[in-house]
Amino acid sequence: MPPRHRFFSPGRIGAIAGNTLLELVRQKVFYFLLIFALALIGCSFFMGFLRPELQFQVMKDVSLGAMSVFTWLLAVLATAMMLPKDIEDRTLYTILAKPVPRLEYLLGKLLGVLFMLAISLGVMAVLFAATLYIKEQTTIAAALGELRQAPPEQVAEVVRNVKAATFTWSLVPGIAIIYFKAALFASLTLLISTFASSWIFTIVISVAVYLIGHLVPIARTYLLETDGSWISKAFLTLLTLMFPDLQLFNLTDDIVAGNALPPGLFFQTAGMGCFYLAIYTCLAYLMFSKKEL
Amino acid sequence: MPDPAISIQNLTKIYPIPFKRERLTAVDDLTLSVEPGQVYGLLGPNGSGKSTTMKILLGLVPATRGQTHIFGRDSSFVESREEVGYLPENPYFYKYLTGEETLHFYGKLCGLRGEPLRRRTRELLHLVGLEDAADRRLGGYSKGMLQRIGMAQALVQEPRLLVLDEPTAGVDPAGSRDIRDLILQFKTRGITVLLCSHLLGQVQEICDRVGILHKGKLVREGELEKLIAIENQTQLIFENASPELLARFEAEAAACGARLVEKSKPHATLERFFLEVTQ
Ligand SMILES: Nc1ncnc2c1ncn2[C@@H]1O[C@H](COP(=O)(O)OP(=O)(O)OP(=O)(O)O)[C@@H](O)[C@H]1O
Ligand SMILES: [Mg+2]
Repeated sequence: MPPRHRFFSPGRIGAIAGNTLLELVRQKVFYFLLIFALALIGCSFFMGFLRPELQFQVMKDVSLGAMSVFTWLLAVLATAMMLPKDIEDRTLYTILAKPVPRLEYLLGKLLGVLFMLAISLGVMAVLFAATLYIKEQTTIAAALGELRQAPPEQVAEVVRNVKAATFTWSLVPGIAIIYFKAALFASLTLLISTFASSWIFTIVISVAVYLIGHLVPIARTYLLETDGSWISKAFLTLLTLMFPDLQLFNLTDDIVAGNALPPGLFFQTAGMGCFYLAIYTCLAYLMFSKKEL
Repeated sequence: MPDPAISIQNLTKIYPIPFKRERLTAVDDLTLSVEPGQVYGLLGPNGSGKSTTMKILLGLVPATRGQTHIFGRDSSFVESREEVGYLPENPYFYKYLTGEETLHFYGKLCGLRGEPLRRRTRELLHLVGLEDAADRRLGGYSKGMLQRIGMAQALVQEPRLLVLDEPTAGVDPAGSRDIRDLILQFKTRGITVLLCSHLLGQVQEICDRVGILHKGKLVREGELEKLIAIENQTQLIFENASPELLARFEAEAAACGARLVEKSKPHATLERFFLEVTQ
C-alpha cells in the first residue's frame, strides 16, 4: 500500500526542481560562466592606462553590469524552453500521470531555474571578488614599492584607500538585487510560456517587457506632470501597473561609487521583486491549470 | 461490490479546430467499465479516440461532458492517479537521464525514497531487461528500450491499474513477446490493464474483454471469447495422420451430417519462425 496522498509535497517539488537543475547542468548551461570569466579577465587587463582608483571603479561597474545582464539572459533563456520542451516531448504526460498536482510541477520547474540562477550568480560573484582581490594585492604591492621612503602613516593611508575601493561587503546587497531581478524575469517568462505558441515568441515578449520595464518611470513622470488625452493616460496607467519599474532595480551606480545601499531601499526593492515573482507565478498557475496539453 | 477499476460514463470530448467554425468530436458518448483484474483491450482505427480516452481517464485532458473514475475516484482529482501507471504512445523521457535516474525520478514523484526506491528500481530494471543499460543515458536508447523503460516507469509505485497506449509499437518480436508475457504476469498478480494496440493477434492472446471504437463511438464491446468464437465449428489438429485415416474421418463425419469446412496444413507463424531464427 503506497503512503497516503499528500496534497502538497515538498519532496515531489524537490524531485522536480532537482531534475530541472540536473537538466540545465547536463545541457552545459554553466559554460556560459566561462564567457563571463573571460570578459572579467579581459577587462582587468585592458585598464592599465587608468588611475588605480578609477580602474577599480570601472571594473566594478562593468562586472556588475555584466552579472546583471548574464543572469537576466540566463533566466529568460533557460525558462523559455522548459515548458514547451516538456509538452512537445510528452514528458509532461508521464509526470502529470503520477500523483503530481500541476502547481507542484510548475513550482518545481521554477525552483530549479532559481537554484541555477543562484549558483551562476554565486560563481560570478566569487570570480568577481577574486579578480578584485588579485588586483588589490598587485596594486598594494606596487604602491608599497613606490612608497618605500614614505612615513608609515602615509603607507597605511594608501593601503586603506585601495582596500576601500575594492571588494567590500556593501557590494553584496547590490548583487542580491541582481538576483531578485533575474528571478522576477524567470517567473515572468514562465508565465508567458504557459500561453505562448513558441519559445521564440516567449523570448521576444520577455525582452520586450525588459525594455518596457525600463520605460515605466518615464511613463509615470509623463502621467504625473502633463495633461495628455485620457486614452494615453489610461494606457500609461495600465503600463505602470502591469510592468515592474525595472529602473528601481538599477542600484549599482551608487554602490560602485562606494556608497552602501540603505537597508530600507534594499528591502523595498527585494520585496517588490518577490511581490512580482509571486504574482507572475500565481498567474502562470492559473493559465497552466486550465491548459489543454 | 468493489468499485470498478475504471468507469467511464457518457464521456464526450470535443476539440475545437482553431480558426474554423467546425469542431471535432474525438470521443462520442462513451460508456465503459473495467472490472478489477481484467485485461481490457481498446481497439479501433487511427484517430478513433483511443488515446484521447486514456488521457481523459488520467486527467491530462479535460472532458467536454461525462465522468471518468479510477477505483471510484474522479479522474479530475490528483489522488486518482495514485494507483495507476501510464505509458503514453511514443513516449519520450528526459534524454539526459540514465535509465536508473529516470526510475529514481518517477519513483520520487510517487513518494518513494531511499533504500525502498533503490530496491524497486533494481527490480524493475531486471523485470524489463534493462540492467545492462541502467547507467546509459536515454538519449542513446533505441525505440524498444524506451518503450521498456516506459513500462518500468509506469510500474514504479506498484499500481493496481496499468494504462498502456500501444506498448508494443516499434518493439521487435522478441521484445513484443516479452511485453506480452509481462502483461500476462500482471494479470496473474491481479493487476488491471487497459491496453490499446493495433496488433490484433496479441490483443487476442492477452485480453479478457475488448471494446471497439469507431469515430469516437463504442461500436462493439464484450468478452473476447464470446465475440469471436464460431459456436458451431470445431477445429482438430492431428500429427502423423495417414491419408487413409483422414479419409475415414471425413466419411464418418459426412455420415453423421457434419460438413467439413476446411482442410489445411497449419503453418508455423512468421512470429515463431522469426523467434527461432533470431534466438
Ligand atoms: N490536441 C488535439 N487537438 C485537436 N484534435 C485532437 C487533439 N488530440 C487528438 N485530436 C483528434 O482526436 C481524434 C482522436 O485522436 P486519438 O489520438 O485519440 O486517436 P487514436 O485512436 O489514439 O488513434 P491512433 O490509433 O492513431 O493512435 C483524432 O481525429 C485527432 O485528430
Ligand atoms: Mg493513439
